Amino acid sequence: MSSLKINGKEKDFGEDMPATVSALLDTLEVDQATVVAEVDGDIIERKNFETTQLSAGQKIELIRFVGGG
Amino acid sequence: MKKTIEKLTAQQLAEVTMKNLGADVYAKMQATTVAVAGLGGLGSVVASSLARAGIGKLIIADFDIVEASNLNRQQYFLSQIGMKKTDAMLENLGRMNPYLEIDSHSIKLDSKSITELFAQADIISECFDKPEAKQMIVETVLSKMPQKRIVCASGLAGFGRSNIIQTQKLSPKFILVGDCHSGIGEGVGLYAARVGIAANHQANAIIEMLINEIGQENNE
Repeated sequence: MSSLKINGKEKDFGEDMPATVSALLDTLEVDQATVVAEVDGDIIERKNFETTQLSAGQKIELIRFVGGG
Repeated sequence: MKKTIEKLTAQQLAEVTMKNLGADVYAKMQATTVAVAGLGGLGSVVASSLARAGIGKLIIADFDIVEASNLNRQQYFLSQIGMKKTDAMLENLGRMNPYLEIDSHSIKLDSKSITELFAQADIISECFDKPEAKQMIVETVLSKMPQKRIVCASGLAGFGRSNIIQTQKLSPKFILVGDCHSGIGEGVGLYAARVGIAANHQANAIIEMLINEIGQENNE
């Protein structure tokens, strides 16, 4: 089982489990410049998206921002 | 002829505000510092609503100047075009409450300046326009200033759909306002009405947090 819990929802990646936060965001087609990511309760700074490894079963929270203010 | 009141002393204004809010709430408001990051459609409204609610101190920051294209949604006036937004906001807030303490910074905020300039704030209100800037301040506050509370806004473009603008408590220290998906884009603009709804959700969430704390403090 290679799944992550993303914003409360279980998502199974099968054989294509993303290895890093950056890879996960690419898979989800999320613009990295506009998202705040939390992995198992820790905020991951954007500069560390590429180096932060993911493993199955982790809880990911993604907060995406859109423009306007 | 209309009769205008030229001046209210600090004490007269305090008495009126205290009568309106009650002594406990007034004391809590007066003891609170809120930082407003960005003085556009969101920040100009958040700052005004908090100033009128008797907040003790505001820290305001924006690097921009007032332009004609801002007047559709931002709380400035024709006569203020060309002024720094911080100066225009100081002028406007001063007309609402000349005794409000305000620290103003005409700079483009980044991670470093946010941690420095907002160190004394009890609550930070994210009022930027660009999604990258929203990301930057939320990441900075959550990772580098974990003791601070932040109220941010995302998803407020367009018109109508008032009731899908929500206040979500993502954690005890992190509140997100907006519908989370209506961004600016081709054919989708910003209106004072819908931006203002989101901004006042932010101000209202801040007021609610403060008033709820009074109950907690009294129970301790």
